[in-house]
Amino acid sequence: MAAHVGTKKTMVVSLILTLLIAFGSLGATLALGWGPKLGLDLDGGLSVVYKPATKTSQANMQEVVNILTNRVNGLGVSGAQVNLQGKNVVVSAPGVKDARAVLQAVGQTAQLYFRPVLCETTLDKGKLYNVNPTTLPTCDSKYLMTQANLGVTVNSQAVAGFTMNTMSPDPKFGKVASTLPVYDDPQSRVLLPLLGAPTSRYLLGPAQMTGQSIAKAVAQEDTAGAWVVNYTLTGSGSKLWDQVAQANFHQLVAIELDGVIQSAPVIQPTQATFTSFGGTGQISGSFTESSAKNLAIAMQFGALPVRLIPLTTQTISPTLGHSALVAGLGAGLVGLALVMLYAILYYRALGFVILLGLGATAALLWAIISALGHTAFAPSFNLAGVTGLIVSIGITVDSYIVYFERLKDETRAGRSIRTSVDRGFRSAWRTVLAADFVSLLAAVLLYLIAVGDVRGFAFFLGLSTLMDIFMTWYFTRPLVVLLGRRSGQSNSALSMAAGLNSGGSDNE
Amino acid sequence: MSNETKKLNGFTRLYRGLTTINFVGRRKTWFTISTAIIVAGLFSLGVRGFNLGIDFKGGNSWEVLAPHASIAQMTQAVEKAGLSQPTIEKLGSSTFQVTADLNNLSQSAQTQETNKVVEAMAKVAGVNATQVSTSSVGPTWGGSVTNRALEALIVFFIAVVLYISARFEPKMALAAFVAMLHDLLVTIGVYSLFGFQLTPDTVIAILTILGYSLYDTVVVFDRVRDNTGSVLKSGDMTYGDMVNLSMNQTLARSINTSLVAILPVLSILIVGAYILGATTLQNYGLALTVGLFSGAYSSIFIASPLLVVLKERESRFKELKVRLESRGQRDVLTPASAALLSGEGAQRAVKISGGEASDAVIQARARKQKRR
Repeated sequence: MAAHVGTKKTMVVSLILTLLIAFGSLGATLALGWGPKLGLDLDGGLSVVYKPATKTSQANMQEVVNILTNRVNGLGVSGAQVNLQGKNVVVSAPGVKDARAVLQAVGQTAQLYFRPVLCETTLDKGKLYNVNPTTLPTCDSKYLMTQANLGVTVNSQAVAGFTMNTMSPDPKFGKVASTLPVYDDPQSRVLLPLLGAPTSRYLLGPAQMTGQSIAKAVAQEDTAGAWVVNYTLTGSGSKLWDQVAQANFHQLVAIELDGVIQSAPVIQPTQATFTSFGGTGQISGSFTESSAKNLAIAMQFGALPVRLIPLTTQTISPTLGHSALVAGLGAGLVGLALVMLYAILYYRALGFVILLGLGATAALLWAIISALGHTAFAPSFNLAGVTGLIVSIGITVDSYIVYFERLKDETRAGRSIRTSVDRGFRSAWRTVLAADFVSLLAAVLLYLIAVGDVRGFAFFLGLSTLMDIFMTWYFTRPLVVLLGRRSGQSNSALSMAAGLNSGGSDNE
Repeated sequence: MSNETKKLNGFTRLYRGLTTINFVGRRKTWFTISTAIIVAGLFSLGVRGFNLGIDFKGGNSWEVLAPHASIAQMTQAVEKAGLSQPTIEKLGSSTFQVTADLNNLSQSAQTQETNKVVEAMAKVAGVNATQVSTSSVGPTWGGSVTNRALEALIVFFIAVVLYISARFEPKMALAAFVAMLHDLLVTIGVYSLFGFQLTPDTVIAILTILGYSLYDTVVVFDRVRDNTGSVLKSGDMTYGDMVNLSMNQTLARSINTSLVAILPVLSILIVGAYILGATTLQNYGLALTVGLFSGAYSSIFIASPLLVVLKERESRFKELKVRLESRGQRDVLTPASAALLSGEGAQRAVKISGGEASDAVIQARARKQKRR
């Protein structure tokens, strides 16, 4: 039977090293000003889970992820993440101030359609009728935006370089509500509002091209300082676009995204005859910087290979997130204080070992969580994670309890404290390993299988369980064994007996 | 000494390792209590079902911090914004939560209505509209979360049974499994009985509880395994008495650990949820509190007694029991006396008074314990 679980020297070294690492790394993270990467329920932000409307391939879903990532990045949102979880796409953008604005841009999930403009319509006040596209009335011939009616003429004297007739809206559609997204079928006619001007509406014909023909679109300032959108077409898209443009020469083509007309430019108004676009084009008009950028993003990234249905959408205000963080940390600290109080009341001197151990564990955990916040690997620290940590207080303290109860058993058996600390540790260590393994098993399985918040919870539970194993071996073992050996030599104030005068009959 | 021991209160006896509570002997009582709770819960589940949160049935919710607003003001504002039959709750001291179901509206109409309610709530609270949190959940979302959680649960059960079978023995795995099932059923039953709202957070919390309950059970079984290799070999104790001793030996630890686990969880529930009003914390805290009590109970009163039932069907332990009972004398050891017996130089007869069986004089046939 090995009498010791380690030599004095190695134990002193491990104890000092552990404490140095724990409090040193905490000091370092604090000095660097690092903090944990907060989840959106603590920091505020946006989270959406989308499901494909129809069955689709994994490759298509990967493309959806790329497009959504581009859309989010195109908005200048930092720290946003788009990833696949099973068959769903999860978009999360923590720390965003105006989450609903981001949601609107990301949520434009419909396909981009290019449709010919048939006529402009009015929008009357009062009750509107919802109409199925198949029963939409047709435009009166004098309102039809035909080549003849529009009469686009090249005129180098005009500011825009051309003139055209002002067409009045067809009053027939005044009481008809704009087409609902559910009826937004590329094969049928639709009545849709213009972006930013809900009272200007157009009746559009069936789609002639989709956004998949667009390879690239960028917002740029032209030489005169006006914002334009320059676009490049794909190989097959170039041919198709030439056909569409030729058919609609000197007429309006609407670019529709998710039931809203993004723009309705006139085709080549500054040219007398149609010329091939040759794969590139420019949309000009009264764009602002942001409207040009939004159109470019919509044109380039609007074309999703599949329609997405939001399963769950959450926007969390930063103040509510902050109050949740305060609540979570407050609850954690109160819980920790209660546990420490109990430990000292029950174990007296040994309770201080628990106190120091919990302090070191907490310091090390905070340092690790803060450091992980700077990597892409760890899930962000959310309320579920906070709960995981709070729950792990119990698991951590249990390791001390298992050991100390074993110690009592050993001293009850009449052994000296000196021998008891060694023997007790060995049996307690086996128990701690067996029990922590179960806890780790639960954490790993949850992390691998579950979705969403559950993963954060599992991650932090697993992390603190690993920490418990580490601390039991490198902190509790050397500290208690050293204390035990000391108490054999002298009646120091920290004598183990303070927590162990429990030998049943032998202290009577 | 015997009289003095009698006078000690429960806590001191626990502290000094002098308890001899007969957990195993009264197993029928424990099993009956648990069965009654589970049956009541399942009955309620069959009749009333669950109070499902919007994450499960789909719906919309809004939250805002409005310390100075009243429920009446908020109700009026959101109803004016077009919500029909909204539920308005004040959580903690200042968080307002409005719940309604807009899933029958089209996607764009949902967005419009959501924004209207946001504006209305922001106005009542006197804050910017960005300070209102929103959540909308489609009708199928909760189902997919639950399915993943159930998958995790089944894999976890299988892994645990394999692990305990390998590390301990299959019968312990079975007993631990039944104890976990017990906690699952009790928690589900309590949720249905009291009409607590079931959310995905609850599902997470229940999974944790199962891990925790198992953790508790493993600690007791670890001791049983130790004692199987030592105390039981003496041939003076039935398997049941040995398990009972193991439980008394780990009782102080079980109670301390349960307390230490429950203190922070109660803190989540009371400080986090009711004082500071964080909904998620409330969901976690409630499920964890219910489950931890059930878990602490099941590892003591279900898992170990069940293990005895299973093991005493084995012929060698059955024979041992018959032999010891025919001798008309059973050893009831306190953890402290068991420790003395196992200790060096304990090869002497010890006279021990043991708690409830304090009149019995025990002639312990101690032998020096062989440690593996």
